[in-house]
Amino acid sequence: MLTLAGITKTYPSGLLALDHVDLRIEAGSFTSIVGPSGCGKSTLLRMIAGLDEPTAGTIAGRPEEVGLVFQDPTLMPWADVEANVYLPLRLAGVKRAAAASRIAEALALVGLSEFAHAYPRALSGGMKMRVAIARALVTRPRLLLMDEPFAALDEITRNRLNDDLLRLWRDQEFTAVFITHSVFESVYLSTDIAVMTPRPGRVMALHKIGGPPVRDARFRADPAYLEGCRAVSHDLEQVLKVPA
Amino acid sequence: MMRLLPVMVGIVFLAAWEFWVRWQGVPVFVLPPPSLIAKAFADNFPMLMSALWVTVQMTLAAYLASFVGGLALAILFSQSRVIERSLLPYAIVLQVTPVVSIAPIIVIWVGTDHVERAVFILATIVAFFPILSNASLGLRSVDPGLSDLFSLYRANRWQRLFLLQLPSALPALLGGARISGGLALIGSVVAEFAAGSGEATGLAWRIAESGLRLEIPRLFAGLVLLSLTGLALNFAVGRVEHLLLRRWHPAHGGEAG
Repeated sequence: MLTLAGITKTYPSGLLALDHVDLRIEAGSFTSIVGPSGCGKSTLLRMIAGLDEPTAGTIAGRPEEVGLVFQDPTLMPWADVEANVYLPLRLAGVKRAAAASRIAEALALVGLSEFAHAYPRALSGGMKMRVAIARALVTRPRLLLMDEPFAALDEITRNRLNDDLLRLWRDQEFTAVFITHSVFESVYLSTDIAVMTPRPGRVMALHKIGGPPVRDARFRADPAYLEGCRAVSHDLEQVLKVPA
Repeated sequence: MMRLLPVMVGIVFLAAWEFWVRWQGVPVFVLPPPSLIAKAFADNFPMLMSALWVTVQMTLAAYLASFVGGLALAILFSQSRVIERSLLPYAIVLQVTPVVSIAPIIVIWVGTDHVERAVFILATIVAFFPILSNASLGLRSVDPGLSDLFSLYRANRWQRLFLLQLPSALPALLGGARISGGLALIGSVVAEFAAGSGEATGLAWRIAESGLRLEIPRLFAGLVLLSLTGLALNFAVGRVEHLLLRRWHPAHGGEAG
C-alpha cells in the first residue's frame, strides 16, 4: 500500500537523520517502527504524514485520509471533547449537524460518549489520548499514524489502550503505522516490525509476527510473541553496539 | 473575613487621617480631612459626574480603538513577516515616546477647538501597545502539535487564524487588555492635562483647575473618583477575562463562575 523508497533526510545543520530508508507497508497491516531515540523514526512518520519533505527519496501510495496521533494528546484546551473530535471534519468544511453522527460514533469507539462535553483539563491522561484517537478516526482514515502515543501513560492504562487499539484496527480495517521504543508493545500490537539504527536512521531488520488472529492478554504467553520479543530485542542490542 | 480586611484598613486609615489633620491643624489647602473631601464631593456632585462622564467616554472610546487597532495590527503581523518587520519599529517608536511630549503637536494638528479629538488620539496611542505586543505574542504561541494537525487536515489561512491562532492568543490578549484598560484611563487623564485648555471638560481638567484655584477638597474628590473609575475598569476587564477563560485555562480553574 505504502512504499517508501530511498528516503533520506539531511538537516540544514548537515546532520544525516535518515539514510536511504526503504520500507513497504502492506495494506491492512499493523506495522511498528522500533528504534532507539535519535534514529529518526518520528521524522519518518512526519514524512509519511506529509508534514515534512524528504531530502531525497519517494513515498508512494499515501491515501487521501490520514489520521495522526502524537505522543501528547495535543487537544485544543479551549474546546470540549466533542469540538476537538469535530476538528478534522470542520476543517474539511463539514457542517456540525452533518458531522454529529460521526462524532458520536468516534466517541463511542473509544468509550467516551459520556464525556462529549467535558473539557480536556478535566480528563485523565488516558482519556485525553482516547480523545486524540477518536479525533484521528473521525475522518475514517485508511492510514493511522501514531508516534509513541502511549509512552507517557502508566502501564495499566497503556495495556488497556493497546487492546482497544487492536480492536479498532480489526474493526475499522485501517493500516496502522506505530512508532515506539518498547519491544514488548511493538510485538504485542504488530503484524510487521521494522527495526531502525540510530544516526543515521536505516531499516536494519524486518520481522513478521504470527500468532492468533485476535490477540488479547493471553498472547503475551504465546510462542509467537516470545519469539518476536527475542528477535526484536536481539536486533536492538546489535543496533546499539554499533558506535553512534 | 479576608474580604473585609481591606475595608477595615481603609476605615482605620481615614480615621487616622481625619484625626491627624485636625489635631495638627494642617491647612485645608495642604491636606483636607476626609470629611471635607466628602462634603466637596456632595457639593460638586453634578459637575464632577458630568466631568467623569466625559473622561469615561474618552477612556472607553480610546480603549475600544486601541483594542481593535492593536488586535488588527497583530493579526496583520502574524500573517506576514514582511509587514511585521516593516512596521514594528514604528509601533515601538510610538510606544516609547512620552505622550506628554507629543500632546502639543497633536492638539495643533486636530485644532485647538477639538481638544477631545487630541485626547482620544493620545489615549489610544498609550493604550495601544500592550494589546499589540500581547496579541502578537499570543498569536505566535501556538502548540506546534496542533499546528501540525491543522497542516495535516489542510486548514486554510482563515481556519488557522480563527480556530487555532486567535483561541491560542486569547489568554495573552486578555492580559494585554487588562493593562491597556488602565493605560487608556491614564492616557486620557495625561492627555487632558497636557492638552488642557478651556475646551477640556473632563475630570482631569477639573482636577487641574481645582488645584489652580486652591480648591483642594474638590481636587481630592476628583482624585478619589478617578481611582474608583480605574478600579471599576480593572474589575470589569477581569470579569470578562474570567468568563472567557474559566472553562479551560489553568489559571482560572479554582474559582466558581
